[in-house]
Amino acid sequence: MQIAVSGGKGGTGKSTVAINLAIALKEYFDLALADLDVEAPNDHILLNVELQNEEPVNMFMPRFDYSKCIKCRKCAEICEENAIITMKDGTPFLIPTLCSGCRGCEIVCPVPGAILEKQKTMGHTYLTNTVYGFPLITGKLLEGEERAMPIVVAARKRVQKLDNELLLVDTAAGTNNTVSKALENSKLLIAVTEPTPLGLHDLELILKLAELMGIETWIVLNRSSLGNREGVQKVAKEYGVEIVAEIPYSENIIRSYIEGKPIVLSENKEAEVFKELAKKVAEYVG
Amino acid sequence: MQIAIASGKGGVGKSSVAASLVYLLKDTYKLIAIDADADAPNLDLLFNVEKWEEEKELVGAKVAKINTETCIQCGICAERCPYDCIKFIDGNYVVNELTCEGCGVCRLVCPVEGVITLEEVRSGIIRKTTTKYNFPLISAQLDVGRPNSGKLVTEEKEWAKKIMKEQNLEHMIVDSAAGIGCQVIASLGGADVVILIAEPTPASLSDVKRVYKVVQHFREPAYLIINKADLNPGFRGLHEFAEEEDIPIIGEIPYDRAVPKSMTMLQPVIEAFPQSKASKALKEIARIVEEEILK
Ligand code: SF4
Ligand code: SF4
Ligand code: SF4
Ligand code: SF4
Repeated sequence: MQIAVSGGKGGTGKSTVAINLAIALKEYFDLALADLDVEAPNDHILLNVELQNEEPVNMFMPRFDYSKCIKCRKCAEICEENAIITMKDGTPFLIPTLCSGCRGCEIVCPVPGAILEKQKTMGHTYLTNTVYGFPLITGKLLEGEERAMPIVVAARKRVQKLDNELLLVDTAAGTNNTVSKALENSKLLIAVTEPTPLGLHDLELILKLAELMGIETWIVLNRSSLGNREGVQKVAKEYGVEIVAEIPYSENIIRSYIEGKPIVLSENKEAEVFKELAKKVAEYVG
Repeated sequence: MQIAIASGKGGVGKSSVAASLVYLLKDTYKLIAIDADADAPNLDLLFNVEKWEEEKELVGAKVAKINTETCIQCGICAERCPYDCIKFIDGNYVVNELTCEGCGVCRLVCPVEGVITLEEVRSGIIRKTTTKYNFPLISAQLDVGRPNSGKLVTEEKEWAKKIMKEQNLEHMIVDSAAGIGCQVIASLGGADVVILIAEPTPASLSDVKRVYKVVQHFREPAYLIINKADLNPGFRGLHEFAEEEDIPIIGEIPYDRAVPKSMTMLQPVIEAFPQSKASKALKEIARIVEEEILK
């Protein structure tokens, strides 16, 4: 079973919730945590662990064998990314930065061997054993690479192989299709937001996405003392979702964030919020 | 001149710093602002934009559709989709439009002609307005579940260039997207300088290092602003990074409750609380930007 932590925009405390919840949920389940924010994965930093067991995510890229190519242009015609340009006589050339590695060109090329495979590493996945008793899977896009989707897909595949009882997914910010990919198959989405106009605007988008995907959603209100709670309540009501936890603005949480010492393990009263939330999740998941 | 403002990841106060800088420079320089974070735009909120003068829908994203009437349910498409977007649900193969990348591979491998079509869908909207501060702003909003495409940002920039010509503007300030993917690459491409914003936490350091590698691909000069600088006094990581990479630090903004408060008031902090600690630091930064970058 999978549940996800997400929340419109960046910086709302999504990763803080994800790692603390993961630690608290360990009491109830054999679990794995997946950091699918592949453009800026930070869960390992917050958990204060070094990434381990690196595996490259390689992508297909076409390489033309010009001695075989008959210059029929088919490959260029079907490439949805326009990554192949052809010369006047039909000779194809690849623009590597545009290629998505989908293999479409290879599929349509009528001449066996005219398109060969070149591999390009676009990022990595990691499987890190944390000291908290659960594994962390991380996807990390290489700097300069544009496409996050293949890394998300690869990290998901890697974590699925582990076959834990519960998978907790931390997604990227926003509501683009890599976020929906990360959310896919989730039974529950925990949307982290803060009570500001910006937080509200982004909360609505993630609730919309969850609705489209048919995922039950809970709201966790971070920095709840900051602003306009009524606004969040109104949106929650509109989408028929519940605010299940409130995390007050807290120096202790900031300090724990900075020091890489998860607050849930501390004696601070803020730890209770996460323990309560974990209990609720455990009851819900059953 | 094109100035990009980037942080690698959201949440370090990039947009609020960007908004204040734009606010401080707007009277002296003829500029246009671009919000390139189409996944979670917020400059319009910070500049209290109430209506848009012009909007353009962006089509061009494609998603696959399967005609269940003619599908013979061989399952080849599901097997071959590089992103695992086709599932067998209630007796039919269906494409999850919210994750489809529109690559067209399913259509190529489908043995029955015409079962799978690629359909153009709206990927989002780009829009333009003149803020109440009298400079133009371009912003974009990606539709939920659409691929995060650099094209959106490129379109925004092209529109901005047109307006710059028409209105005789000199500078384009791009509040770049979070992350390091296609939108960020499109945001940074063509910039003359990049201003990086980070906070003194290990996570933010890691993010800003990553975006700096992208900046290096473009060989653009970079500057660093440290936000919430006094939050973590023992942390020297950002200074070390700046020194190693020879990136000038053009300002340190102290943590200040006036900043979140100004955001709930939908104003740049410099406007809402001009005498606050953060505003004073921002004014100094704007002065350095004028002297060092816009000179
Ligand atoms: S692999 Fe896909 S994107 Fe790359 S060149 Fe071939 S068809 Fe185009
Ligand atoms: S489809 Fe194959 S044969 Fe035709 S131009 Fe492309 S590489 Fe050459
Ligand atoms: S267009 Fe590409 S991503 Fe979309 S369903 Fe077909 S194969 Fe999968
Ligand atoms: S490949 Fe074509 S015929 Fe086969 S299941 Fe997919 S859509 Fe149906």
